[in-house]
Parts: sequence; C-alpha cells; structure tokens
Amino acid sequence: MRSRAARLGSLAALILLSAYLSAAADSSARWFDVEFPRDSPVLMVSSSLGPLTTAHVRGTSMVLDLHAALLVRNTSTKPISGLTLRVEAQDITPSGKGSVTVPSLRVEPGETFPVRIDMEISRPFNAPQADGALVKVSLDCALFSDLTSYGPDKLHSSRSLMVYELEARRDRHYLASLLQAGRDAEVREELNFGLQDFVPQELGLELLHAPRPANYSGQPVNVGAVAFPSSPVKTIGGAARVIGNEVRAPEIQVRNTSMKVVRSIDMGWIVRDERGKQYLAGSLPATVQLAPVQTGSMIEPGTLRFSHPAGEPMSIGALLTFVNDVEFADGKLWIPSRADIDEATRDPLLHRALATSPEEQRLAEVYRRKGMSGLAEELQKLTQHAPTSR
Amino acid sequence: MNPRDKSSHPHPHELALFSGDDLPRLTSWRIRRHVKHCSECEHRVLLLRSAKAELNREAKSETLTAFEAIADWTRLEREMLGNITVGLDAARCIEKVGHGRKLFLRAGLVTAFVSLFAIGWMTHIPREETGHLVSSLDRLFTANRTQPVGTVLRSSPYGITVRAQGAALTILHPPSAVIGVSGGSAVSARYIDDDTGQVTITKVYAQ
Repeated sequence: MRSRAARLGSLAALILLSAYLSAAADSSARWFDVEFPRDSPVLMVSSSLGPLTTAHVRGTSMVLDLHAALLVRNTSTKPISGLTLRVEAQDITPSGKGSVTVPSLRVEPGETFPVRIDMEISRPFNAPQADGALVKVSLDCALFSDLTSYGPDKLHSSRSLMVYELEARRDRHYLASLLQAGRDAEVREELNFGLQDFVPQELGLELLHAPRPANYSGQPVNVGAVAFPSSPVKTIGGAARVIGNEVRAPEIQVRNTSMKVVRSIDMGWIVRDERGKQYLAGSLPATVQLAPVQTGSMIEPGTLRFSHPAGEPMSIGALLTFVNDVEFADGKLWIPSRADIDEATRDPLLHRALATSPEEQRLAEVYRRKGMSGLAEELQKLTQHAPTSR
Repeated sequence: MNPRDKSSHPHPHELALFSGDDLPRLTSWRIRRHVKHCSECEHRVLLLRSAKAELNREAKSETLTAFEAIADWTRLEREMLGNITVGLDAARCIEKVGHGRKLFLRAGLVTAFVSLFAIGWMTHIPREETGHLVSSLDRLFTANRTQPVGTVLRSSPYGITVRAQGAALTILHPPSAVIGVSGGSAVSARYIDDDTGQVTITKVYAQ
C-alpha cells in the first residue's frame, strides 16, 4: 500500500514538473526579450533561440540554457566600432547582471553584424517569479568610429569600448608597419604562432562582493609596479593583504605627473604564483580626481580569490600593477604605446601580457584562418581610417 | 382471636420472627396483642430474644470465619483490586524488559544500515555531487530564513557567473577564454567566437 502511494506521489511530481517545463517551453518568447530604443543607431533584424536552448532541473533549481543569435543592423550614418549589450535576468536583478561586448568592429551604415549570447540561468523553484521576460537584452552603448557614443551607458561600457578601440588602432598600425617593413617573422611572433608559452595563462577567479570587516587580516604584501615612460600617472607605492589565494583590500598610491587634471585611472593587475608564472588578472578602474603633481590612493574593498583553471587554489607569490589607461578631465584618454610596452619590461611573458589586446587576439585569428595575405588585407582595410589616439 | 384459646396461639415460627422484629406491621401488631395477654407465648418470645442476644455476643467475641470473610465484600474488593494492581505492575515490568531488547536490536540495525549507506555513498558518489546535494538541501531548508549575504562573481572553464540570493546568471564561453577582473564589481571573459570570428568580451556584474 505504501509503495503504491509512493509511486503515485512520484508520478504526480513528474507530471507537475513536466507541465511546468512544457509551459515554460511553450512560452519561449517570455524567456528572452530584446529591446532597443526607437532612436537607437542599431536595430535588431532577427533573433532566434538555437536548438541547444533547453530547460532542465538541477537539484532544487530550474536551469535554462539560452543560446540566442541576434542579427543587428547599423541604422546610423556613421561606422560602428564597438557595441555593448546589457543582459539582465529578472530574477537576480538588480544585484546581478551581465553584458556582451563586441569590440574591434568596422560596421558601415546599413550593414548587419551578428551577436551571439550564450547563457545559463539557474533559479530555485521556490524563488518568486518576476513579471516580464526571464532575460532582457538591451543596448548599453554603441561606439562610433569618430569615438562618439550612444546609449544609456549604465555599465560604464563607453570608456571600455573607447579603450578597446584605441588599443585596436595602436595594434593595427603596429602590425601594418611591421608588414610594410617586411618583418613577417616579428608579425608571426607577435601573433603567438608556434609559441605555446606565450598563450595567455588561464586563470580562475572569484570576486567576493560582500560586506567585510574594517580590519583585514592576512600577510601584508608590497605591490610592485611596471612603469611606462610616457604614462601621465606614476605608481609610487602599493600594498595588499594576502591570505593563501586571496587578495584583500589592495591599495595603490599614484601621482599625476602630467599638466592636465586626471578624472579616472584604470590600474592593471598581474599576479605571480608560487612557481613564478605570471597571470594578467585584469584591471581595476577608479575615479580619482587628481590635479597636476597631486597624489592620491585607490583602494578596492572587495576580495579577489585566485585559482588554477582546474580549480585548485593558487598560492600568490607577488603582485604587480601598471597603469592601463588614464582618463583626463577633458574626456581624452591615454593608453600605453607600443614603445612604452617595449621599454617597460624585458620579460617576454610579461611583455606578452601587457601587449595583448582584443584586437590583436582577433587579428591572430584572421592570420590563423587566412594567412599573411589575409592579415595584410584586413589591416589595409582598417588602417585607412581614424587617428591613433584621442 | 381469643388469647385463652390454645389453638389460637401463634405458630412458633411467627413468634421467632416476632422476636427478631422481622414480621410485617399488621401481623406484628396482632402477635404483640396476643403475647401481651398470653404468658406462655410471652415466655417463648423472651427465650427466643435471649438466645439471639447470646448468639450475637458469641459471634462478636469469636475470630472471623471464612464464610464471614467472604461475606465482607468491601474488604474482599480491596484485596482483589490490590492483587490485580500488583499483577498488572509485574506484567508491565516483564513487558518493559522485552521492549528494551527490541529497541536495542532495532537501533543496532538502523545504525548498521546508516553506516553501510554512508560508506557506500563516500566510496561511490563523487564529492562534487555530495557538495551540490548538500548545498541544494541547505538552500531548500534555509531559503526562507537566510538573509542575502552579498553577491559572488565566479569564473569556471565554461562561464562566468554572478550568484545572488540562490539564483545565478552564467554567461558561457569556450574553455580558451581569458578571464580577468574588470573593475571592482565585474569579472570578464575574452574569446574569439568560432562562428563569427569576432572578439567577444562578456562580463558579469555585482552592482
């Protein structure tokens, strides 16, 4: 009798789950919604959820795998150089959101380009369900080739897109000059072909963004600096608390050595593990108003936890920092030149970490697919426009 | 009825009942009138009454006989109830002794089964699955009690995840993606999209 009741209960649970999932599948339009403003310089031509889009149960949560393909048209009168789409999941907004950025574009007016969004959403069954689509995609910022931008910029992506574009122009000109000079071997070296050691080291990390006590424990570690000769901001000191694979409260002191007022600074971070391997950990931008010759400090309240790709904790041996970019009060940006990077270090791995930009990664893929002639054609097409700095 | 008439004397058993006041009132009144005027019957009644008094006196002075004990229902009832209570208590004591053994046996069986299950689980189920199950159960039972403890951003070989309040948003990427921090509240992944050949930079934020 009991086993019969248990079987009936299981069957009822399965029927309820199937009904829930089939209802969710039937309303796929409620899963995904794309919204662009009416005056947006980009409009969606089509969108589709791929066949891999599924819903399934994991533990006590429902998991949605969404694989969306968007086709977007440039409806403005200017070429588009980069685009950031904001991705918001209603169930975890406002505390969590994502974005998909496509930099290094050259989309002429009227042309279309694809944007793919592959994501997974996990929500507990007992979580309250919000109204509207589960995932909402909207425009955050579109950057034009004249370095003007459009969009609400809620994620501060305008500045990132601008830095990507400046780096792209720098690297295109650098590689084009090497090609023009017939220095093909240096081009191949620059694009990492055959040099596995130069492949960017993979890194696992966790950023804990929760309230922490004011007094951090851990071993104090000095933060070293990689200096670029033409940088308008110099690093004069830095420290952080390190416990095993955790970096807490990193703080850096900087001085404005330019004659212009600095509005914000983006500091790049390099982590060296116990075996001496160096990893580009990312960058931490900070809004610091610095008059000429003025000094200031930047502190990151969060905790960074590093691990190897397989998951084992990475023991941190040393921390290095460098000035990734500087924004002045007049809105202009400074990024390190190729000469700055060459002079900053003789370490090939560190040099590689400093020099790798999204555009160089893309051009390496062009070279892998189309060879040297394809790369030369691509560079010729792109270097016809725009100055190299702002 | 003439008291002088011998044939009209009450029957001896009527006189015996009269002496013990055990006759109905009308008969007792008729016998009393006769005895009042009949010395012979009066004498018989006096003899009967003195004999009864003697018997009562002797009965009081003698020990209680078995018959008289049976006749004392109150005392007998108390004794019977007492015996029953003692019997029931004894039965309970015996029953408890057996029950304790059964409980001990059952507890032993359950412990052995749980130990076998735990050993089987530890040797056959991967640790990740155990952790996932524990965290799922924890979320299930503490969903209504726990307060939000902040937002966690995490990278894995397949995606970058922002997790808050039990829900998670993961933006997927190929294993070759370069992971990095992007500001104090974002994690980024940079990779080449195999289909489009474009550089794609994904980020998750904790704002």
